[in-house]
Parts: sequence; structure tokens; C-alpha cells
Amino acid sequence: MNNLSLLMDGFATILTWNHLMIMVIGVMLGMLVGVLPGLGAPNGVSLLLPLTFTMDPVSAIILLSCMYWGALFGGSTTSILFNIPGEPSSVATTFDGYPMARNGEATRALTLAFMSAGLGALAGVVMITLLANWVAQFGLKFSSPEYFAVYFLAFCSFIGMSSSAPSKTLVSMMLGLAFATVGMDSVSGGLRLTFGIPDLVKGISFLVAVMGLFGIAELMVTTEEGLSFNGIKSRIRIKDILRTMAELPRYWVSLVRSILIGIWMGITPAGPTAASFMSHGLAKRFSRHPERFGKGEPNGIVSPEAADHSAGTSALLPMLALGVPGSATAAVMMGGLMIWGLTPGPMLFITRPDFVWGLIASMYLGNVVAVILVLATVPLYASILRVPFAIIGPVIVAVIFTGVYQVANSTFDFWLLLCFALLGYLFKKLDYPVAPLVLTMVLGHRAEEAFRQSMVMSDGSLTIFWSNSLVTTIMGLGALMLVWPLISKLVGLRGWRQRLHRQKPGDHKPSTPDSRA
Amino acid sequence: MTHNGISRYSMEIATALLTGAIGLAICYGAWQVGTGWTPSGPDSGYFPFWIGVLVVAGSLVNLLRTVIGHRHKDEVFLDAVRLRSLARFTLPIIGFAVISLLLGLYVGTTLYVLFAMRLQGHYAWWKSLASGIAISVCFYLLFELVFQVPLLKGPLEHAFGIY
Repeated sequence: MNNLSLLMDGFATILTWNHLMIMVIGVMLGMLVGVLPGLGAPNGVSLLLPLTFTMDPVSAIILLSCMYWGALFGGSTTSILFNIPGEPSSVATTFDGYPMARNGEATRALTLAFMSAGLGALAGVVMITLLANWVAQFGLKFSSPEYFAVYFLAFCSFIGMSSSAPSKTLVSMMLGLAFATVGMDSVSGGLRLTFGIPDLVKGISFLVAVMGLFGIAELMVTTEEGLSFNGIKSRIRIKDILRTMAELPRYWVSLVRSILIGIWMGITPAGPTAASFMSHGLAKRFSRHPERFGKGEPNGIVSPEAADHSAGTSALLPMLALGVPGSATAAVMMGGLMIWGLTPGPMLFITRPDFVWGLIASMYLGNVVAVILVLATVPLYASILRVPFAIIGPVIVAVIFTGVYQVANSTFDFWLLLCFALLGYLFKKLDYPVAPLVLTMVLGHRAEEAFRQSMVMSDGSLTIFWSNSLVTTIMGLGALMLVWPLISKLVGLRGWRQRLHRQKPGDHKPSTPDSRA
Repeated sequence: MTHNGISRYSMEIATALLTGAIGLAICYGAWQVGTGWTPSGPDSGYFPFWIGVLVVAGSLVNLLRTVIGHRHKDEVFLDAVRLRSLARFTLPIIGFAVISLLLGLYVGTTLYVLFAMRLQGHYAWWKSLASGIAISVCFYLLFELVFQVPLLKGPLEHAFGIY
């Protein structure tokens, strides 16, 4: 059991008071950004990233990943108590979570959600523990053409799996790739796409883009909706928590199904949002009492939550082992890794095993810490949402501006932020997906480098992308993903995608379900 | 403009034109640095040029889908009421950016919170001002003292000798 001993080493790395404290801080901050409108996991991680530049990478990744878990839990809290999904991926939790809370069973709904989410996350980490080394070994066989093929596959899956129009996904994705190329060309050293503006020489930071697209834009949509919070008062009683835990084994079928869906959708870049919708849809289809769904059915809470969190954790496997993030938040974290001087991908398992296995070990512990903390502090976080938006909104904007300034100490980034905010606002209201833009912005350099190196290897011939069985298979999978909407239409698998469209909560916080948080 | 605000139809067209224009700009910028082949492989502009072409192509499809399919013709993108609350939120942000450039982030934050609370929540002057100052002080303590990352400062801080 090589993996097990590596995992034990990881635990040895992280089991210090210092790291435990970072975990608690990360989870608490994560819950805060998960609860607050306009601040989600990608944004929270982006805001925190500049503060980690001087930290050692192990502490930094623990802080950021724990913030991610906290944000996922915070998002479920507002879904259940306020009918407002704090994260796009917790939209499906509102379907049954809010009705159950309204029926006076808020504690039961919250406990069901948190426990199944915790189990889902643990299953995801177990999967990572077992598969990480194997995937990394596999990744070591890759050279430039294979890497470009993997990126091609990821880009194609966006187009194939997204619920938006394929042409809109394409535009969003390609804009991200283009923004990544602005500034210094890392291969030739020359400048490009700067249009004579000296501030563009340093390039466009993906952090600024995330804060504009996810932060300010989300707040703009929120203010426009004239959001008012009508929360359900909740008192958490230990007795109710224990009783709900005892009934959890009854939903094991839903749990297992949802976890499998979540892991699959997390590794392929379909993301947690699609996973939670699909899982809720399938739970209803296989249920003996489908009419109970939407009225507070426990299976309707367990399924999306378990899928959401197992997908959220699983999304870190391709990021770590191959350097291809499975969600927007994973993309931001991967950007962080590169800033700290680490190269995500199979070599990381050889050069920095302490980092990789420390992160994996912290995922076990972080999720346990998160479940306990979230149960203990729900009333506190729920009270934050009762502060009027006219106070919270400006504070969030000011925090985002300070965050943007810290990225590069540049005031030009303020204007970039406003441009991205406008773009994000238009995209959100017109059903363009935003997450692909961020992912391609982080991946842009690596994708281009892989492409150019392949071209050099083949002397400019595109045939290198089907020159051996491995690269041909990956490219073929990519092409398959590209035409997947057509295929699924023919086979009649479009049920859950239509459901995804129909159940968009138009009168609440408008979250495009396909923005993979 | 329709009778009850901006239609989604016109915004779909405007956005497709905007992304198309960005795409053209990318192609132009890439063409400036060369999109061909050099002895050491593809030129700097090679990759961005084809990305730009894809952006333009996608924007064209979006434009044609909207115009030919008459999509979203009767949907309202933004009505007058929503436009007003959106303006009350965005205009102070633009002001915030300008003031921060001139006077630094601390003065900017104080003034921004002050005016945003007045405009959006109709709070009393003294409450809004107190909140603005309190938040600036919190930022100072958090960033300068705890994390030791300096924020942008202006003439006011210099006058007080804070660097």
C-alpha cells in the first residue's frame, strides 16, 4: 500500500497546530464568502490568493482548499434557509431543502445536507487517494501533443456538456484564451496584443478577471433583482442533529448513486453544478414517490448535496495529476500553484510529494472540520444575511477593489476590473457561461506552449495530433464531446439538461447553473 | 428600446457585436506581430490569430441565430426601475475607481461606502460616514498591520506621514 504510506506522510506534514488553525480560518472564511451574495468560492479564493504569496505552499494550499470546502457548505446553508443558492452548484438543493425548512424542519434539512455533503466529499478524497498516483504515472507518458490533446478534450467538453448555446460557450472560452496571450510571449520573449498600452505589458491577470466576472457582475445582477432575504429562523438542537444522522443510512441508494455521478462529473470537467442537477433529477426519476419531490423530500436534499461535494473534491484530481482543473475554483487554485512556483501535473508527485499528499490529507481533515464548524455556526452565518444589502454590497465592492490592487499594485487593473464586470454582467444576463473563460485564461499559456512545441516537433504539420494511439484516442474523445449535444439529442438523453434549463430560479439570485463554481 | 425598457433582442445583438469587435482586435494585434512561420516554429501571433478568428466566428453565429431566429424578441433585458437601481449601484463604483486613483484606496473606500449607503439604503449622513471610516480603519489594520501588504495611498496619508 504505497499510497497509504504516502497519505500517512501527508498527515504527518499537516498535523500541526499551525495548519489546524489555518484550516479553521479557511473554512470560516469560506463559509462567509459562500453565504454572502456576489462572493462565491472562485472569488473568495482569488481574493485570498495575493495574501498567500509569501506563505509556504503547503499552508497556502490548505488555506485555499479549506476555503473551497467552507464555501460549498455556506452555499448550501443559504439554499436551505433563504431559498437563495449561495453558489451556483447549490441551486438544486433549494428544490427540496427550502420546503423542508419551511415545514419547520430546518435542523433536519441542514443536517441531511451537511452530512451527505461530507460523505460525498470523503468519497471524492478516497477516490483521489487511490487513483492519484496511477493517473500521475499515466500522465508521465504525455509529451506536448498529448498535453495539447488533453486541453482540447477539456475545451470540447465545455462545449458538449454546457447547457448554454455552443456558440456562446465557444466565444466565452476563446476570449479567455485570447486574454491569456496578452503581454509577453513566453516562447519568443516579444510583446503582443498590447496595442501600445504600457500597462498591458504585464498581461491580464486571471484574478482580476475572476473578481470582475464573478464578483462585481454577480452583485450587479443581485442589486438589479432588488434582493430581499426572507430567512427561516433556525435553532440548531443537538438532539435533532443526532436523530437525523440516525436516519441517514436509509438513503444509502441515493447516496451511492449521487457520489458516483459526482465523482464522474468532477473528473470530467462537467463540474459540480451539472452533477447536482443530474443527481437530483435521477433521484426523482428512480423514486417510488416522485410526487414528493419539491415538497421537502429527504432524498431530494441528500442527492444534490452528495453529488455537489464529491464533484467539488474530485475536480482536484485532474488539476493535481494532469494540470487540467475540473472547475473554476480549481482553476484559480491551479493559478495559485503556478504563482507559488509549483508546476501542476505529474512531475509534482515526484518533486513535491509533501505538497501533494499534504493537500490530500488536509482534504480528509478539512471536510471533517467543515462539517463540525458549519453545524456549530449556522445561526451566526444566517444572521449575516439579515444585514441590509445596502451595507453589505458596498463592503464587498471595497474588499474586491483592495483585492484587485494587491494582485499587481496596479491602478490600471481597476479599469480592467470594471470592463470584466460589464462583460460578466452581459454574459450572465444573456446565458453565456462564464466559468470556461476563467478556465481557459488559466490554461491559456500551457495550452499554447503545448501547441507550439507540438508544431515544432512536427515541423508545422497538424498530423502530429493523430500520430500515435494515445494522442489519437484523446483527440477522438474531444471530437466526440464536441458532437455530444447532437448524439444525446438522438439518443434522447436530454432530459436532465432541459430540467436544468427549466428550474433556473428566475425570481431569486440568478445563478446560471452551468457556471461551474 | 421597446416601450418598457431595453429588449433582450437588442442586447443579444449588441453583445455579439462587442465580442466580434474584440475578436477582430485580437486578429489585428496578432497580425501586427506576425502570424506566420519562423525558423523556430510558429510566430507569436500564430496562436492568438486563430483564437481571434474563432471568437469572430462564434460571435457571427450568435448574431445570426438572434437575427434570423428572431430569438428573445419579446423579452425585456432591463426596465426603467431595474435600470435605476443598477445605476445607483454602478455609478458609485466608477466614482470609487476614479477617487482611489487620485486620493488612494483608503479615502476612496470611506467616500464610496458613505455615498453608496446614502444612495442605496438612504442611511443618515453620520451613520454612513461612520461606517465608511470604520471600514477603512479595518482595512488598514488588516492589510498594513496583519498581512503587511500596503494598499494604494494618496496625498492625505502622506500629509499625516503614513506610508
